[in-house]
Amino acid sequence: MGRYVLQRLAALAPVLLLVLVIVFSLSRLIPGDPATTLLGPGATETQIAALRAQLRLDEPAHWQLLAYLGGVLQGDLGRSLKTGAPVLNEILLRLPATLELTIAATLVAVVIGVPVGVLSAVGPNSALDHAVRLVSLAGVSMPAFLLAVLLQLVFGIHLGLLPISGRSSPFFLDDPITGFMVLDGLISGDLELAGDALRHLLLPTAVLAAFLAATLARFVRNAMLDVMTEDYVRTARSKGLPERAVVFVHALRNALLPAVTILGLKFAELLGGAILTETVFAWPGVGRYMFDAISNRDYPVVQGATLVFALLFMLVSLGVDLMHGVLDPRVRRRMG
Amino acid sequence: MKLGKRQAAALLALAALPAQAQAQSAREIRQRTLVIGVPAGPANLEPGTNRAEPIGSEIILNVFDTLVAWSPPAFSQLEGRLAAAWTVSADGRVFDFTLRPNVKFHDGTSCDAAAVKFSLERTKSINPFMRASFDPIESITVTGPLMLRITLKETMPVFLSLLAQPQAAIVSPTAARLHGDAFSVNPVGTGPFRFRSYRPDTDVVLEANPDYFRGAPQLARILYRVIPDASTRRLELESGGLDIVHQSGQLAAIPTQDVRALRANPQIEVIEVPSQIIRQLEFNNSRGDSPVADIRVRRAILAAIDYDGLIEGIFGGTAERVYGPLTSNNWAFDPRMRDLAPKHDPALARRLLAEAGVQPGQLKLTLYSFQGPLWGAVATFVQANLAAVGIEAQVAQTEFPALRALHVAGRHEVMLDGRQPWYNDPDAHITIGYLSTLADTAMTFRMPKDDALDALITRAQTNVDFEQRRQLYHQVQAQIMERAPAAFLFSPKLIVFRRRGVQGLVVNSAPPLNEYWGVSKS
Amino acid sequence: MAEALHFLRRNPLAAVGAAMLSAILLAVLVGPWLSPSPISIDMTRKLVPPGLAQPLGTDFFGRDVLARVLHGGRATLAIGIGVVTLAFLAGTAFGIVAGFLGGWVDLVMMRVVDALLSLPSLVLAIALAAALGPSLQNAMLAVAIALAPQFARLARAQALSISVLPYVEAATATGSTMMSILWRHILPNGIGPLLVQASLAVGSAILQTASLGFLGLGAQPPAPEWGADVSGNLQYLRETPWAALAPGAAILLTVLSFNLIGDALGDWFNPRRRRME
Repeated sequence: MGRYVLQRLAALAPVLLLVLVIVFSLSRLIPGDPATTLLGPGATETQIAALRAQLRLDEPAHWQLLAYLGGVLQGDLGRSLKTGAPVLNEILLRLPATLELTIAATLVAVVIGVPVGVLSAVGPNSALDHAVRLVSLAGVSMPAFLLAVLLQLVFGIHLGLLPISGRSSPFFLDDPITGFMVLDGLISGDLELAGDALRHLLLPTAVLAAFLAATLARFVRNAMLDVMTEDYVRTARSKGLPERAVVFVHALRNALLPAVTILGLKFAELLGGAILTETVFAWPGVGRYMFDAISNRDYPVVQGATLVFALLFMLVSLGVDLMHGVLDPRVRRRMG
Repeated sequence: MKLGKRQAAALLALAALPAQAQAQSAREIRQRTLVIGVPAGPANLEPGTNRAEPIGSEIILNVFDTLVAWSPPAFSQLEGRLAAAWTVSADGRVFDFTLRPNVKFHDGTSCDAAAVKFSLERTKSINPFMRASFDPIESITVTGPLMLRITLKETMPVFLSLLAQPQAAIVSPTAARLHGDAFSVNPVGTGPFRFRSYRPDTDVVLEANPDYFRGAPQLARILYRVIPDASTRRLELESGGLDIVHQSGQLAAIPTQDVRALRANPQIEVIEVPSQIIRQLEFNNSRGDSPVADIRVRRAILAAIDYDGLIEGIFGGTAERVYGPLTSNNWAFDPRMRDLAPKHDPALARRLLAEAGVQPGQLKLTLYSFQGPLWGAVATFVQANLAAVGIEAQVAQTEFPALRALHVAGRHEVMLDGRQPWYNDPDAHITIGYLSTLADTAMTFRMPKDDALDALITRAQTNVDFEQRRQLYHQVQAQIMERAPAAFLFSPKLIVFRRRGVQGLVVNSAPPLNEYWGVSKS
Repeated sequence: MAEALHFLRRNPLAAVGAAMLSAILLAVLVGPWLSPSPISIDMTRKLVPPGLAQPLGTDFFGRDVLARVLHGGRATLAIGIGVVTLAFLAGTAFGIVAGFLGGWVDLVMMRVVDALLSLPSLVLAIALAAALGPSLQNAMLAVAIALAPQFARLARAQALSISVLPYVEAATATGSTMMSILWRHILPNGIGPLLVQASLAVGSAILQTASLGFLGLGAQPPAPEWGADVSGNLQYLRETPWAALAPGAAILLTVLSFNLIGDALGDWFNPRRRRME
């Protein structure tokens, strides 16, 4: 297994390099330069030229790429063109917010989606199955930004139950320990902060989780149905095993494989797709940061954030593949 | 030692006292904290690196002081801030400032002439945005502990206005040297508020400076909350999560519905202040082969637009008509512009087009504009107006950098554009906009080469006599209107939403930033 | 055909989806002929609530919302189908070649696909749309490029599993060209899951284009397009919700119908699930 992990980690490098080249070229292809955006409509050519020189934007592209790559290898992702702060620091500052949101959404999606999918699979073509399929398909058909605004209106204003923006009430000036506010509150014993952070987490999580739970429910249902018609399940049943054992021990365990795969893929999608949610709920995460950076032509930030996302995606993929090994002995053997 | 119940209770009460006192003072601070909703976070918090981005500039205005500043509530006169008095030489090139004594920076060091010199020279060298304002400076000399002389290369009556810009604020040399690059997130000035904390994309907290030389502010803290989405900002205001929604939040979209709804809300007051922003449909005036090169076509387009329909229908009173190159609240505005300005007359438009030999449906234009719902709405309306007189316009809302690149290269025929002046002087609109020698240097009106008009504009800019300047600018306006370089459309008002209980807020129009020294909450 | 009808009868959800989609297609193809202009402005009738004259009310410019939804449907459906067709053709071709040829061709091609997949698709679409310029066509191209890698991955997996089947090896042995093998054997047998993916991707394409429209990178005003209309009217959601909710509901129902059909197709092509009673 160890050798397999090393092999996979080694395979990471060329893909990351490719990602970097793609993003670098893409951001340079976008017309208009950062100096223009940063100085705004009132700026004159002289001011822009001065800023370009200051930001060293006029050096030839391949030099810029090489310089950047060199920096990355040393852990330096450059400096934001907008604020001058180191990109890595800025991303790390905002990453916990996005991770907190995506992890919470994943947890909620698993807790809701898997049981629902199982229930649906156990009674295929029943009324419950149809209802579940309809609702989960509706869940993935709704535009996220619309859902976000509607939830805000209903829960935030009409019912007045939940806060509608930010990670915590503004008067809690916290000292971040992990950056995950709920955890920080629990660790430092400040239960009020933890509760407040949790309440702020609910609505944005609901928006993200809706999509994911729906997808998961469908996948679990389909995967379980596939498994439950397999021979070995029929064998288990004919052996006289109680239905519950058949379902949970055999069917679910083997259906978990594709479910875990899809979860891994979707988790990475969530990271990027949180952009719209982060904007509506004023959530200070990396998705929003990257979107602002694209608008501002802040190349180092776009490159750095994409790199971080890609890295996370690949690590999650690796994790998923390793889970495959845990869940499926055949795969484990192949991994060595 | 065994504690009896009563003793335990007493001990607990004692232990709780400081916590209670803390809670009480925390509550007090909360009550005297002004919470402001802004659409974006600041990019930089100090004059040396801030490039006229609105939130950062406003924070600078409250954390730092400039030599001179606009007097509230009219903001039409300059008053001394760090400068107690000043004199200008007869030729308008030498400014002698006497500084206020006993002013200290937040770090305790003294604000003297040396500090001012250091600050201005620092900004001049590291801030490309201030190049236009500070390039004319030939030298800055310290002539006494509190005396400073600034000599300009040429006469520039507008220079004092430039010194009132946030980017001309005075920084603490000690702190700047100490923090280096990090000074940008650790600003130290002389202003009524001290910088306390900044969480990127989340909030900025300022706290009161009790030793401020004009007197301590009444607020204990200011909290800027970054909320990008407009409807979220409004929801927070209504539920009490915000005290103020900053005016910069209402400039990207049409606030008519919000204004109407919030006016009906007894908890909330709507402050509307005329701005000096001008938005127009401008022509590429230096393109000879363009269909709009014929002045009859331009006048036709000018007559095709339903100006009142735009102001009433689209903006519902949250914008004002602009009649010419200057807004009607500018001191150099020529009242005759109201009569000279074009009127909505589709019949006249069709006649002029026919005269110019343009058949209905023959003229096809690409109408470029900025992105965002406000520009989208204006573009849609203008397009319909043009279609009504037989001109086919295709709307192309474009991202700003691409739009600017297009504009400066002169590849457009018509474009929806605008300017927000950063200081209160007609020079801010006229010189950069209409000087033909500057046509390619920025998003200008691209006026064709015209030595006579250029000379007039330069004379108006450099004349030291106030009344003469005003007359010259009147002439400039008339001459510009003759050339029909654009259809001047509207000036959006600066709209601030505030909760009742916030008192003393006055809104400046150029630049559109607020100073909170005089604000209190009840 | 008879099998299809039999299948629909046994799968009420698929039937619902098919019915919805047919209704939407009918409305979108025929409706615009019968409805008033979606772009004619009437500022005196701004934000009028739904009534007899205008069944879905009017928007900020006094334009008939129902007309905009019907006309906008053409644009949106064209987007969904066009984008997926593009992504399908490009991605599948890429993936089949990679899966069949194997070796280092496969290795390189799949690394490129991996790289594209690890970029969050909305970010990729935003960057592409910004690079190409804001217009509906460019938004479509951007979303197509963002969706193609999934097809490539799937097609490759299919090609891999089919190309090791005996009859394909036999075909190779008897000297059939690569093109004829791909066309005659691999494509028809592997197409099933790809079609499922395609019908599900239509929904995703429509949503992503709507998101781009929401962010200002899609259709230009005054052209009616559901996503752009939602974002354009979102600021009026509190007082006059119908202008934003109508196109929003249209998106929801259309994407839902594609998803229902796609989901049912998934069951159809999966012999184990098709057998389910």
